[in-house]
Amino acid sequence: MAKFSLGSEPVVGSLTPSKKREYRVTNRLQEGKRPLYAVVFNFIDSRYFNVFATVGGNRVTVYQCLEGGVIAVLQSYIDEDKEESFYTVSWACNTDGTPFAVAGGINGIIRVIDAGTEKIHKSFVGHGDSINEIRTQPLKPSLVVSASKDESVRLWNVQTGICILIFAGAGGHRNEVLSVDFHPSDIYRIASCGMDNTVKIWSMKEFWTYVEKSFTWTDLPSKFPTKYVQFPVFIASVHSNYVDCNRWLGDFILSKSVDNEIVLWEPKMKEQSPGEGTVDILQKYPVPECDIWFIKFSCDFHYNAAAIGNREGKIYVWELQSSPPVLIARLSHTQSKSPIRQTAMSFEGSTILSCCEDGTIWRWDAMATS
Amino acid sequence: MVSKASDAAAKFRRSHGEQPSDVVGTLSHKMHQIKKQIQAERIVSVKEKVEKNAKKLEDHVLKILSTASSSFTEENGSARMFARRIEHPLCKLSGLAQGYGDKDHVNFHEVSSPSSSKLPHTEKLPPYTTWIFLDRNQRMADDQSVVGRRRIYYDQHGSEALICSDSEEEIPETEEEKHEFSPGEDKLLSMVFQEYGQNEEVTKSVSHFIGASTLEIQDRYNTVKEKNQEKNDTKGSGEFGSDNGVWLSKGLSAALDSFDNLFCRRCMMFDCRLHGCSQPLVFPTEKQLYWSEHDEDRKPCSDHCYLRLITGKNLPEDPNADSVHKMKTRSSERESTPASPNAEEHTAHDVPAMKIDHENLAKRKAMKQTDTEPHDLVMVSDDFNASCKKQKRLAALDAESGSTNEIQVQDCNFSAKSSHLDVGLHKKIELQIPTNNSGSASYDESGDIVRDEQEDDMEVLELKQFSESTGQIERVSSSSEWKLMEKELYMKGLEIFGRNSCLIARNLLSGLKSCMEVSTYMHEGGVSMPHGSVVGPSSFTEDNGKTDTDHTDQEMPTKSRLIRRRGKARKLKYSWKSAGHPSIWKRIADGKNQSCKQYTPCGCQSMCGKQCSCLHNGTCCEKYCGCSKSCKNRFRGCHCAKSQCRSRQCPCFAAGRECDPDVCRNCWVSCGDGTLEEPPRQGDGQCGNMRLLLRQQQRILLAKSDVAGWGAFLKNSVNKNDYLGEYTGELISHREADKRGKIYDRANSSFLFDLNDQYVLDAYRKGDKLKFANHSSNPNCYAKVMLVAGDHRVGIFAKEHIEASEELFYDYRYGPDQAPAWARKPEGCKRDDSSVSQGRAKKHQSH
Repeated sequence: MAKFSLGSEPVVGSLTPSKKREYRVTNRLQEGKRPLYAVVFNFIDSRYFNVFATVGGNRVTVYQCLEGGVIAVLQSYIDEDKEESFYTVSWACNTDGTPFAVAGGINGIIRVIDAGTEKIHKSFVGHGDSINEIRTQPLKPSLVVSASKDESVRLWNVQTGICILIFAGAGGHRNEVLSVDFHPSDIYRIASCGMDNTVKIWSMKEFWTYVEKSFTWTDLPSKFPTKYVQFPVFIASVHSNYVDCNRWLGDFILSKSVDNEIVLWEPKMKEQSPGEGTVDILQKYPVPECDIWFIKFSCDFHYNAAAIGNREGKIYVWELQSSPPVLIARLSHTQSKSPIRQTAMSFEGSTILSCCEDGTIWRWDAMATS
Repeated sequence: MVSKASDAAAKFRRSHGEQPSDVVGTLSHKMHQIKKQIQAERIVSVKEKVEKNAKKLEDHVLKILSTASSSFTEENGSARMFARRIEHPLCKLSGLAQGYGDKDHVNFHEVSSPSSSKLPHTEKLPPYTTWIFLDRNQRMADDQSVVGRRRIYYDQHGSEALICSDSEEEIPETEEEKHEFSPGEDKLLSMVFQEYGQNEEVTKSVSHFIGASTLEIQDRYNTVKEKNQEKNDTKGSGEFGSDNGVWLSKGLSAALDSFDNLFCRRCMMFDCRLHGCSQPLVFPTEKQLYWSEHDEDRKPCSDHCYLRLITGKNLPEDPNADSVHKMKTRSSERESTPASPNAEEHTAHDVPAMKIDHENLAKRKAMKQTDTEPHDLVMVSDDFNASCKKQKRLAALDAESGSTNEIQVQDCNFSAKSSHLDVGLHKKIELQIPTNNSGSASYDESGDIVRDEQEDDMEVLELKQFSESTGQIERVSSSSEWKLMEKELYMKGLEIFGRNSCLIARNLLSGLKSCMEVSTYMHEGGVSMPHGSVVGPSSFTEDNGKTDTDHTDQEMPTKSRLIRRRGKARKLKYSWKSAGHPSIWKRIADGKNQSCKQYTPCGCQSMCGKQCSCLHNGTCCEKYCGCSKSCKNRFRGCHCAKSQCRSRQCPCFAAGRECDPDVCRNCWVSCGDGTLEEPPRQGDGQCGNMRLLLRQQQRILLAKSDVAGWGAFLKNSVNKNDYLGEYTGELISHREADKRGKIYDRANSSFLFDLNDQYVLDAYRKGDKLKFANHSSNPNCYAKVMLVAGDHRVGIFAKEHIEASEELFYDYRYGPDQAPAWARKPEGCKRDDSSVSQGRAKKHQSH
């Protein structure tokens, strides 16, 4: 572990649960036998805040969380290609508000599913290898960004089916990209991380005209002048192993590797020389037994808390924006033993879902403290 | 792991407190106190930062929320299905509202939806890594090296990430790790040293405390102190007034430094990615003659042109001519040879260019020693130097043409337009006649004598001329001072344009000096120049770049030289154990197993001797070398008749080179048919061996291979030996290629291509479509490394007639036991796809 010199030590959270909230299992589903890699609430459309989607194997399933621990199955999709194994799913929508579930996996094809008609809207072929994460721009929910094993990050317009930008090349990632995220307010900015142990911050400011053009493009999508963004504005070496999840927390970045912790750090860019800069590691959120890769954390809508599962089926819920960090709760159940690949926190953070290697989905609800 | 920051701090304190500190107890105590304080401050500052960020984020989230809730108020038709599902879900799976306890058994619901929608099958692409198109090779950027870096792999079939710290030599040489001081440590340093003084003991204990060497501590403290002082200073005095004339006072060489560093003289462009920046500068021995016009033919360039001055006032030219005349008559008094002071218009290039051979060089060195004498001598010896050169040229002339002394002297008079230089010249000539026969030793001696004699005369003359010129020349703009930069620009102008003040003023000094000023300055030149190097403009015009190089040598600040050397990309040579490539890559054996040698221009002056780097490396000298065209090591190109350069009869072709219109006699480039659509087609007598140079490639298409993975296809049909395109990529060293090869072997896909003894092409992340051409043992194409304008490039050529839209194959020519498994199979396949499809076993836990 990196040594910190005097005056720049991070503030490390204590693992003693604060008991601020108590979560209990209220439901448990078994969705086939194949591992589930992603679960995500729809934060794009306020009408559907309690709707979530899961992916695993060649299946995409849409559920709704109801009162009393009830989960309703809304839709289910199966890829005709049995070889497909979805790794990620994200909610997006058309400009008219039609909800889309955007999924991708080992085949490298991004499936845009129109939940309004229960039909495939578009399939994006272009990535040269499997897709590890898809995220949606919350301010413009028809833009999604995908991270792939082919070492690139790509920006797509789900409405018109256009690949707008490719973030790769001379300054790009040197191994699989595992995670990517949009900045909450700076619409031009994304952060990506991957197997080359780095986190890279990219800006599409200079290419924004292409983004705008993508909305009005009427010709064939393949004829769109897709641009390469070859140089990130910032490269951070915060971790010394695979970085498998990163999220913006305001202007700071939360990222995790296989070191049993989530790290909060501030990128300090040098205005004059893009690509360079320093990192100020501010806080650490320990997560025991979290040393395998492809475990992703999730935040509630307001970024008040983050939930992350571990290799042994336990979940740690951290208060993100307090200093020092406070462990809100540690969720465990004797039957939950399988590695948790991803969690999903509901809008208020009162419900936490986890999807596991063994194909189960667990629902945890915050109990009213008596 | 369970530790708050404060806990950690406490622990730290304790462990330190237990250490027996033999230094002053109070010091140690104090340091801990400071440390505690700094750490506390840090915690507060982190808290502040996080809180500030949280506040900002709150606003952002509100914005997102409004986006999420406002934009779609009405349920539209297309989304009806979703709303209906919400009302009538496929099924409802009840839970337990109050939740299960930790140990309670949780029943689970099997989710088996009877009606699931099908996502129609979509053909997936063959795998590839995102790559950037290159139309010419690029040298690897330093930060792209994988050498010495730890890489982590995961086993496709096995379990988890395994660390490959990459074998024996791979362990990066851990140089003494430099301690990076944090602001906190800086604070501690200054606080401790201010209180306890900067003695050894204190330093020692501080270094122990922080974990840096005492030397580092001291250095750091000094810089911190300076910084603090600076801060105080700037606070007091404010900012410096910006002087916009600053750059003018800087030397030209300083300004040219970035040009020299960034401009590629081989590709004639800035920021050349092939040859890199900070190339060693090579000054060609043979300079192109500058363009000149005769005065009479010239039209005045502007209102301030000196030509107007001549026609109008007839002033500045006259006094000069006067002085020259006087000088000449004076010198001719001494000499028996009559000098004819006419023909002012004669310029240097009227005299045929002559080379200065080694003998002369040696002599010149001897003369140069006089440069070290006191200042008043410098001028003289420099003049002397120049004239000496002239003399040498004349000597050569003498030897060759056997012309009379008279002619020589006349020549001299023509060329030496102004100033006292003439005297030296004449003297030299006088002297040179005997030396020419007697050899260099006696020459040197006599040269010394003459120099001594000369001094007196010269000084007198100088004074005289000076007074004359100051007296007579009407100073058009005497007020305008010549800044260092302007002077040097002027000197460069002389090199480029000769004594043409119009061109100099317009091209180099526009906005700074008018033509008239330049002209005036030119005629005063020899006197007012502070520089030793100013030999009088005329000498520049004559010695064919020889003084030019000297000149640069003298003026180049040594500092910038050093920087350049340090900045040179990387040592090109290294000892590579050529025991065979451990990993797989493509190569062209061409029957013999020799790889070509990388060409680097030599900086030899005139002829290449034993020191020549080209000779040393076993390459020919090329047009980019410093040596002259008659260098014995030069490749002389071919003399083939029209379009005969496509067989081994052409010496270029036979040597694996493309013809070069600059070098070969009959190989030329036509300008096409006027349309910019296509490069000119070959034929029409045009040389057929310049196709890489002219990029006369075929259209290549990329598509799914009929064999495996991706393949390259041809759009139009071609004939045997037609050029299809270039295989481009990153130029990496063999060592780098060894490392990358290992990585690529794991992915079972390699785009490495042996280029020459120094470089391997890697098309993995940068290249062109031809990198996707598959291997075949019965191919329809072949690859060939060609030397194109000094660079090795890989051309892909048709081995036979190929029909349109056929797939392209060529033999990768793996070494005998390097062929990967797939290459031994009847058909090539780039990746073993079947292994990938077995799910993500790799993400499982490692234990």
